[in-house]
Amino acid sequence: MRAVGTSLRLSRSSLRAHKRRFAGTFLAVFLGVSFLAGTMVMGDTLRASFDTLFTNAYSGTDVVVRSADVITVSGQGQGTREPVSTELLGKLEAVPGVAAVAPDVQGAGQLIGSDGKPVGGQGPPTLAGNWIADAGLNPYALAEGHVPAAHGQAVINRGAAKKGGLHIGDTTTLRTPDPVRVTVVGIATFGGEDGMGQTTFTGLTRADAERYLTPKAGEASTILVRAGPGVSQRQLADRVGQVLPKGIEAITGQQATNENLDMVSGRFLTLFTTLLTVFAGIALLVATFSIHNTFAIVVAQRTRENALLRALGASRRQVLGQTLAEAVAVALVASVAGLLGGIGIAAGLQALFPAVGFPFPAGSLVLGATALAVPLAVGLVVCVGSALLPAVRAGRTAPLAALRETAVDHSGASRSRAVLGGAALAAGVALTVAGAGGGRNVWLAASGAVLTVAAFVVLGPVASSYAVRALGSPLVRLRGVTGALARRNALRSPKRTAATATALMIGVTVVSLFTVFGASLKATMDQTVSRSFAGDVAISAPVRGAGGTGLSPKLAPAVAKLPEVRTAVGLGGGVATVDGGGRQLTVTDPAALSRVLDLGTVDGSLAALGGDGIVVSRTEADKHGWHPGSSIPLAFADGDRRTFTVRAVYGESGLAGSYVITRAAWAPHRVQDSDTLVAVSFRAGVGTDRGKAAVEQVARSYGNPDVQTRSEYAASSAAGVDMFLTLIYALLALAVVIALLGIANTLTLAVHERTRELGLLRAVGQTRAQLRAMVRWESVLVAAFGTVGGLGLGGFLGWALVRASDSAGTGAFAVPLVQLAVVLLVGLVAGVLAGWRPARRAAGLDVLRAIAAE
Amino acid sequence: MTAAARVVDAVKVYGGGDAEVRALDGVTAEFPAGRFTAIMGPSGSGKSTLMHCAAGLDTLSSGSAFIGGTELGALGDRQLTLLRRERIGFVFQAFNLLPTLTVAENITLPQDLAGTRADDDWVDALIDVVGLRDRLLHRPSELSGGQQQRVAVARALAGRPEVVFADEPTGNLDSRSGAEVLELLGRAVHGMGRTVVMVTHDPVAAAHADEVVFLADGRLVDRMADPTAEKVLDRLKAFDGAAGAKEVVS
Repeated sequence: MRAVGTSLRLSRSSLRAHKRRFAGTFLAVFLGVSFLAGTMVMGDTLRASFDTLFTNAYSGTDVVVRSADVITVSGQGQGTREPVSTELLGKLEAVPGVAAVAPDVQGAGQLIGSDGKPVGGQGPPTLAGNWIADAGLNPYALAEGHVPAAHGQAVINRGAAKKGGLHIGDTTTLRTPDPVRVTVVGIATFGGEDGMGQTTFTGLTRADAERYLTPKAGEASTILVRAGPGVSQRQLADRVGQVLPKGIEAITGQQATNENLDMVSGRFLTLFTTLLTVFAGIALLVATFSIHNTFAIVVAQRTRENALLRALGASRRQVLGQTLAEAVAVALVASVAGLLGGIGIAAGLQALFPAVGFPFPAGSLVLGATALAVPLAVGLVVCVGSALLPAVRAGRTAPLAALRETAVDHSGASRSRAVLGGAALAAGVALTVAGAGGGRNVWLAASGAVLTVAAFVVLGPVASSYAVRALGSPLVRLRGVTGALARRNALRSPKRTAATATALMIGVTVVSLFTVFGASLKATMDQTVSRSFAGDVAISAPVRGAGGTGLSPKLAPAVAKLPEVRTAVGLGGGVATVDGGGRQLTVTDPAALSRVLDLGTVDGSLAALGGDGIVVSRTEADKHGWHPGSSIPLAFADGDRRTFTVRAVYGESGLAGSYVITRAAWAPHRVQDSDTLVAVSFRAGVGTDRGKAAVEQVARSYGNPDVQTRSEYAASSAAGVDMFLTLIYALLALAVVIALLGIANTLTLAVHERTRELGLLRAVGQTRAQLRAMVRWESVLVAAFGTVGGLGLGGFLGWALVRASDSAGTGAFAVPLVQLAVVLLVGLVAGVLAGWRPARRAAGLDVLRAIAAE
Repeated sequence: MTAAARVVDAVKVYGGGDAEVRALDGVTAEFPAGRFTAIMGPSGSGKSTLMHCAAGLDTLSSGSAFIGGTELGALGDRQLTLLRRERIGFVFQAFNLLPTLTVAENITLPQDLAGTRADDDWVDALIDVVGLRDRLLHRPSELSGGQQQRVAVARALAGRPEVVFADEPTGNLDSRSGAEVLELLGRAVHGMGRTVVMVTHDPVAAAHADEVVFLADGRLVDRMADPTAEKVLDRLKAFDGAAGAKEVVS
């Protein structure tokens, strides 16, 4: 016990004496833990807010009656269900224990604000439905005005009213997507809030809702049932279930809440938090290198001290314990601080998101036990784990080392390291190439990528000698002796240089990987549009899943009537089950389609498909062995099964999708009709400007959707990639900052270690400016090594990711030279910044103290 | 005879209040050009401080220090650095060489820092004088202590400085290596016309000088021309007696 006490006392005094040395470690752990804790707290908070939202939405609903059949297309969270007949209402009211029944006729409906711009539509749904009279079944409560009582009257939620600048008495347009004139007669609240998150809601009379939101009257999306006193949800659901016809089911309100919650968290929250957790992981990985390096250097510098302790009778365990105790102390303090920082981050983001229009509901922060325990544990494990090896090395210090001249770590790269690393690199690259190139096996490529990264880390010390020498040679030519000294210093300890640079390398690798991937994605999209869009302008609007309502199906015929327009074709969407899986169908006029979209080589005829003709892409046809004349059975959401005949197979599938049927074939199965894209080509001699203006004129009366030229359309298709990349860069900035702290910390320690040398240099005539430049250039060299390695590795892995994820083999691979040059520049500038403080500290050294130092 | 370096009424005070230490307490001394001067005195007599201040490594609390006609107190850090680089050579007790540079690079380091070209013939001749021609591409860690100090002497002389300051240059060496270094410093003065000021506590080393300056308690107490080891030792013993007596009194 006494022995442990001694170790602890020594670590405490060491920590106090070397606060600066541990500042870098502290910051690395702090930032990593903050990020992780922030992510987890935010995830919990969001989940809780959504939980509250959906609980409120179904608070008074005990049973939901809906169609049992659902078709889910991969990539779309919410499946497609057929409406239910409102004829059931009477039957349901007669079920014992039922207090109230109401049809819920719901669809997409986007309001146009007083400024002529659509309200919402960037993610959260814009909904319209019938205003339900029963207060228990209606999650919205009337706050002002009156309920819609006549045709054209609407109640809107307060959030939408505020956003759109709409007031009671105002008349505006509701896109359903057909434009409908509505007059605001009431303002509603949702569970006391302005709305269900950022969702907008427009309540109409039941007649209006049926007219605009369903293909035929007498149908509702679902029927909501409220139980009388003493009847449980389960009991009521069972009783209701007995009177329902085949194909219709009854679920409890609780089930409906859970389904919605699962949908949101499965599709959106999980993706979001996973992404953030991955970046927290990268940040912590980078931190691991920085922390390990700090402890390794501290132990190396303390060799004499430790040897003296050993000579005086301290056991190995005590010396090891001292270093570990230091690590634990730093880890604890930094992790706790990081936890608080993380809560701060979560609070900040929560405040920030609504301000930038992000669809996050408000609510107080949720601090779950896991969200607090995991980051704390991770911080401790990372920090203590990183210090473990150096601590063991400290324990192994021979007592004799006290008598020797302190040797700075001169350890070079061993031969076995070069051999092992080289073999791993060769195997990693081979696996990656095999997985990405020929076989398109994502797992093969991924394991190859991991092996390649590991090989880079192992080979770091081997490569650092060559790389620093090569990178430094222009420096020597440029900066003479200052450059030469900087290069020699960077070459002194290849292991240390490599470890310092590795942290940055990992950060840069991920940055350049995403840069290459993003650029390739954009190139692919651009290629898709430019290859398959043969029209002059495109009209598009976000569809229901993306928060909008799509385009009115009447828009394309209206545009087609313009004298400037040769062809205007609307493309809508539908779903059906083909060969056991949900498939997205393109609903359009196939004959006209070939005039605005380039379909490649068409085998067969696109004309006169009728109600049972289908056109499929070459890829799908080859996969299933179809050819013109083949029969394909399709099952629709309404339970209807129909066999279609393949009339043609086309080559290009970009904008046209993989399955194309006519409007006539889709009509019996449609729910709320909308187009996602109207492709327009002009008559010969009509300029783009004139044609576009004419189309815009027509579009204005259909809810004013965007009219874009070919290049604008291509650019807007790729705009999402840019947003995604910006987010990624912002997240990766953290990892790069941690890497920089690592470089700065290593340099500070090196400066401390080389005090006498620096003093000598100053004595024999090195100016302060030269000394500063020398330290800064060393920093730049280390940063350049890390950046160049990261660019190379990231570029290669980016290529692998592009190839491995491109199952169709039609994607483009692009190397964005400009962006990568910017990354390189940022890396070098970062090196200058990292070297700034150590350089200043070095230049501030007193010459005499430096040469007089022990 | 002109002075290569001199100090006038040099006072150096460290600390303040009760902890005040007067390392130099009004020293006036000249180090004539073309001569080999040794500064001697017991530990704490201020001999190293005197050298540091005379060489522009440290600043005086009051009084003035000159290199040739230049007053050091008037110079800023940058000018002092350039002065050290161009007009002064240094040999320290230990750690004279940069471990990352080769012997040849260490020798021309001050000129390289200045961005000027060393005088090749002169440096070439120096290398023969110090006897390290076959070691030019070695690193300091591959040399013995004596060889390292000889490289340091070569570096100190490479820029043909007005004065070379040597701070206990033989302190870490065995007597044979020490003698070689001292002989080198002597040849620099008498064979090449350089000026050397050397701080030492070793009477044998001091005997290589043309003149010895004795310091005690921060004051210049004596000068001795044409010293021998015995004469110096006797003089030092007298100090020890005086210092002991003083302690008893206080």
